[in-house]
Amino acid sequence: MFRNYIKIAWRNLIKSKVYSGINIMGLAIGLTAGFLILLYVNFELSYDKFHAKGDRIYRVVSDLKTPDGVMKTDVPSCAVSPHLQEEFPEVISAVRLMYLNLAVRKDDIKFIENDAAAADEAFFEMFDFTLLQGDKKDVLRKPFSVVLTKTTAKKYFGDQQAIGQTLKIKDEDINDLSFTVTGIMDDIPENSQIKANMVISMTTYSQSILPTIDDAWGTYDPYTYILLHPNTNPNALEEKFPEFLERNTGEMMKRDQLYVSLYLEPFQEVYLHSARSMGDADGDINSVYVFSVVAIFILLIACINFINLTTARSVERAKEVGVRKVIGAEKPQLAIQFVGESIIICLIAFMITIMLTALILPTFNTLAGKVISQGIFSNPIHIFYLFLITITIGVLAGIYPAFVISSFKPVHVLKGSFSTGTKGIILRKVLVITQFTISIALILGTIIIYTQMDFMRSQELGFDKEHTIVLNTRVSPSQKELKDKLNDLPNVLSTSLASSVPGTNNAIAYSTLENSNNEDQAVSISAYFVDYDFISQFGLKILAGRGFSRTFATDSTQAMIVNEKATQLLGFTSPEKAIGAHFSQWGKEGKIIGVLQDFHFKTLEENIVPLTMTMKRDQMDLIAVKVKGQNIKETLASVQELWETVVPNEAFDFYFLDESFDKQYRTQERFGSLFFNFAILAILISCLGLFGLAAYSILQRRREIGVRKVLGASVGEVVKLLSKDFLKLVIVAFAIASPIAWFLMDYWLAEFAYRISVQWWMFVLAGSCAFIIALLTISFHAIKASLTNPIISLRTE
Amino acid sequence: MIQIQNLKKSFRTEEVETLALNSVNLKVETGEFVAIMGPSGCGKSTLLNIIGMLDNPTDGAYFFNGEEVGGLKENQRTKIRKGNLGFVFQSFNLIDELTVYENVELPLIYLNMKKSERQQKVKEVLERMKIAHREKHFPQQLSGGQQQRVAIARAVVTNAKLILADEPTGNLDSKNGIEVMNLLTELNQEGTTIIMVTHSDRDSHYAHRVINLFDGQIVTESQNKPFEVNAQ
Repeated sequence: MFRNYIKIAWRNLIKSKVYSGINIMGLAIGLTAGFLILLYVNFELSYDKFHAKGDRIYRVVSDLKTPDGVMKTDVPSCAVSPHLQEEFPEVISAVRLMYLNLAVRKDDIKFIENDAAAADEAFFEMFDFTLLQGDKKDVLRKPFSVVLTKTTAKKYFGDQQAIGQTLKIKDEDINDLSFTVTGIMDDIPENSQIKANMVISMTTYSQSILPTIDDAWGTYDPYTYILLHPNTNPNALEEKFPEFLERNTGEMMKRDQLYVSLYLEPFQEVYLHSARSMGDADGDINSVYVFSVVAIFILLIACINFINLTTARSVERAKEVGVRKVIGAEKPQLAIQFVGESIIICLIAFMITIMLTALILPTFNTLAGKVISQGIFSNPIHIFYLFLITITIGVLAGIYPAFVISSFKPVHVLKGSFSTGTKGIILRKVLVITQFTISIALILGTIIIYTQMDFMRSQELGFDKEHTIVLNTRVSPSQKELKDKLNDLPNVLSTSLASSVPGTNNAIAYSTLENSNNEDQAVSISAYFVDYDFISQFGLKILAGRGFSRTFATDSTQAMIVNEKATQLLGFTSPEKAIGAHFSQWGKEGKIIGVLQDFHFKTLEENIVPLTMTMKRDQMDLIAVKVKGQNIKETLASVQELWETVVPNEAFDFYFLDESFDKQYRTQERFGSLFFNFAILAILISCLGLFGLAAYSILQRRREIGVRKVLGASVGEVVKLLSKDFLKLVIVAFAIASPIAWFLMDYWLAEFAYRISVQWWMFVLAGSCAFIIALLTISFHAIKASLTNPIISLRTE
Repeated sequence: MIQIQNLKKSFRTEEVETLALNSVNLKVETGEFVAIMGPSGCGKSTLLNIIGMLDNPTDGAYFFNGEEVGGLKENQRTKIRKGNLGFVFQSFNLIDELTVYENVELPLIYLNMKKSERQQKVKEVLERMKIAHREKHFPQQLSGGQQQRVAIARAVVTNAKLILADEPTGNLDSKNGIEVMNLLTELNQEGTTIIMVTHSDRDSHYAHRVINLFDGQIVTESQNKPFEVNAQ
């Protein structure tokens, strides 16, 4: 019996190649898109799951409460980690992880290592990063030890044995010191929130260059992770933290008016669930939800196509069903036959899906910005899941058509007085509306995402980010010389020194500032440390007072400039009133000499926050070089040439300010481009379905078309007649999709501090796109049918 | 074999109710060859469909081999139909996607017969219908006469006791028509009961008895002389 079913199924597929092709390709494209999204979602959910003790590791984070508000940070102070381990028996081990940006050198081989870190010695015992050489208890024990990843070791030592060799390392704190390679680890997998290609020992700081680090209660820097004993209740531990902090830092908190609270975040949930930023390695559970829904929608659209085409084509199978029933087939047997056919089609689509996925995966990895899968066969369980999904779709999509077809009355179908009935037509209409609702919502979503991205990129930021090269000198002794010589280059317009530039991290400084009531107000405030030229070079506007000036000798030690937001925080009703207010910050005291107009020194996802600027030379590790807009390439080459002459021992470390600023939107851009691509796929699959459905509908109306033409209908009138019915469905879909998309996208936009509003033209554009695409799809068949000689269509009846 | 009492069948559309059969009484004995005649729309095919258990009557009783089958549900009717009844249609109704062999084999598959047994039966019946040489062909590759021979082979391959033929020569030229009628007569002579709807006077002469329907009622009934096979 089954052989017979397969035979029939195969011959039917061959017989109607175009429609089988539409059916199979629609499903295959849907499955491929759905599968890729599921791989992506699965990858996102797999973050940090490879650590055996992962469920007992917690990240320690802190809230800092000052009189002006609460700041939620993703780090505690440096002292928390050693003290937690010492004072709580529940804590097996604690590890601090500090991300570093290092200039590394081995003889003539020099690189800037942006993904370097310093970690406590229990790092390799707590986390399951594979150590290929070296003892995990020992590799980070001694100061000046470094563990390299396989790739990093190869970069510096080629095929030579790296263990025991030395590297020269330099940053703000480490002044070109020698580190010994004590271990080689496997490259850290992509799905890890901890990313490092070299790890130096934290003892380098605690036992050598920063001996106070273990008791630095006021320095908030390293990420801190603790491993708890099994069956430890993290909430109960958390409850003990206030007393712990009071005991250790109570006096300090009171004195500084800065109250700290510590919390624990389950390590394996940090990536997707933590609201506290992780920089680049920051995932978003909402994106996972959105893409899961998109995957389900795309699969749904593909299934709808299948159901629509199969039921529409059921007229062709009616005779066969009638005959089978007459000669003894029972309804369940027929239903099994048609579900079986559906599964066969799905299995063909499954095979095409595997090929398509294998082809598309590298591009998808690029689009997603990470390697979500090395290859389709790298994890056979994924193929198995795809197979199960395929079979499920085969059964689900096949059940309805099977039920409809197997219900045909042989008396009717063999007599030829057969029609699929109004119920079937209504269902098909509902399904087409569903497909287009989803497609239009996705198009609308794409338009809104892109408009928001465009808005953020084109928004007036309040500073000039064009044609600026930023060099990271790590406060090199040659910094001054480099800056002076840069100014002599013909294409260089100006240079300035700074600790931060817009779009990069800045220091948060605990400060006391005199407020409008002439009281000292304690605040944790964003701080830039800049030189005399910074404000003018970045085009920042001074609203009151003045900028730093060489004519005032005290400016370098006793002057502060703040932004408008800072004056508002201090309660001043106008910028002018803040001039002369007293400040104390990081050992400096003096007066506010100027107020800047607010500028976006962070992404537009965030509100502008209060900012201070002072001149603290030892913090200014960056040189911002403003160059002429022409011949940028040549200018960069001359800057590099100069760098190599002045700082020969360090790799040229530079970036363009505009690129670096826009990089902040990378996650959103990826979200946008993924969304865009899936919207295109959704509309493509919907149109494939509409193409097939229109063809069938027009085929069934060929006699009507013939009669109308004989009676004098023009080609245009026939096309209009045939297109009208389908286009009505698109209009209904538009009416349904618009409020849904508006609601969802408004929710998405709420994430941005600076956002567009959803506007009427977006709806018009999305609706027009869907309408035109649908019209083009239908027109192909409609024009073909209307151009057919009526004699042919009337004869075929 | 068949006893029909006061049988009625009406079709209802949204506004009109049409009475297709009105108080039909009919008895058909095993081994009989009955022709049903009448003008278009008189209810011939409706009666044949009810006798073939493809449709249920609206009213009245229908006994098949002594069992009341008029009110049975579709799946119950299918079970009785399977193996007992064979159908031959004017438009042959072969499945285009199956070969001659596979078309004839199909009823045996639904009877869950073993493959070897099926093979033997199909071969036998194809030989008998003189179509064995075309067993691998698809219906579209055959002439009308050949297609109808395949349809008859399919109807008899299960050793059906009753064959219902709905204008079996309607789509054939006279030569092929006669061949088909000869085949049916042969089957009847071997004991198969045949009920045939026809418009053709010539074909009706092959039957033992001719029933004339008009506006859903049997208006006349006449006996024919026994007909010789191969008569021209």
